[in-house]
Amino acid sequence: MIDPSIRLDESIEGRVRQFVFERAARTGVVPQTPAIAEALGLSGEDVSATLKRLAAAKVLILAPNDGDIWAANPFCAVPSGIRVIAEGNRYWAICAWDAMGVVAAVQAETAVITAPCGDCGEILNLQFENHELKHANGIVHFAVPAREWWKNIGFA
Amino acid sequence: MLLFRSEEHIDRWRSARELPRGGVLDPNVAWQLARDWYQDKVNPQWRRHTVDETQALFERLGLRGDFWRLR
Repeated sequence: MIDPSIRLDESIEGRVRQFVFERAARTGVVPQTPAIAEALGLSGEDVSATLKRLAAAKVLILAPNDGDIWAANPFCAVPSGIRVIAEGNRYWAICAWDAMGVVAAVQAETAVITAPCGDCGEILNLQFENHELKHANGIVHFAVPAREWWKNIGFA
Repeated sequence: MLLFRSEEHIDRWRSARELPRGGVLDPNVAWQLARDWYQDKVNPQWRRHTVDETQALFERLGLRGDFWRLR
């Protein structure tokens, strides 16, 4: 766990975190260890260890087994079926809330979210204009009580 | 957190999984929650929200009751 007294922006954790989130926001692509290491002049081992500390601090989520970033919430590193088109980029999100979070994080003036109905699979749309939600079909369901979200963030 | 066409679709989905009804949000409320939660995520000065800050955000959006209680 990261010591909360550390200034995150000046630490190695802060540098890695900032690079990951800025790159994801700017391009729609969540960078993985080799790209992070090259950009920041760090070893792959140092980056991997840092990502594990950031995951332990719930700053991002690692994929099981391989240690790659699964999600730097709200940005998902892999195709998820929940898509956000904003600021000329295509993003993925792991859930509907994160998809809206992408719109907020990149401060998109206009955006479109497409996501399947969790039951029937019909594609639903959320459209944003002038930084506000202008059209939505569907409703959002949180399956897990808020205090338990991080116990199983993939399902929550 | 999934999108559903309607309450009927939520009930069918959760019944098949024997899950209780969770938190159902109008998309506008979910948007306000996402915006307040994530709008500073790319900022270098970002820090995790505290439990008290998160609870206050829920309260501000009318998200009350045991489902939204963090402690």
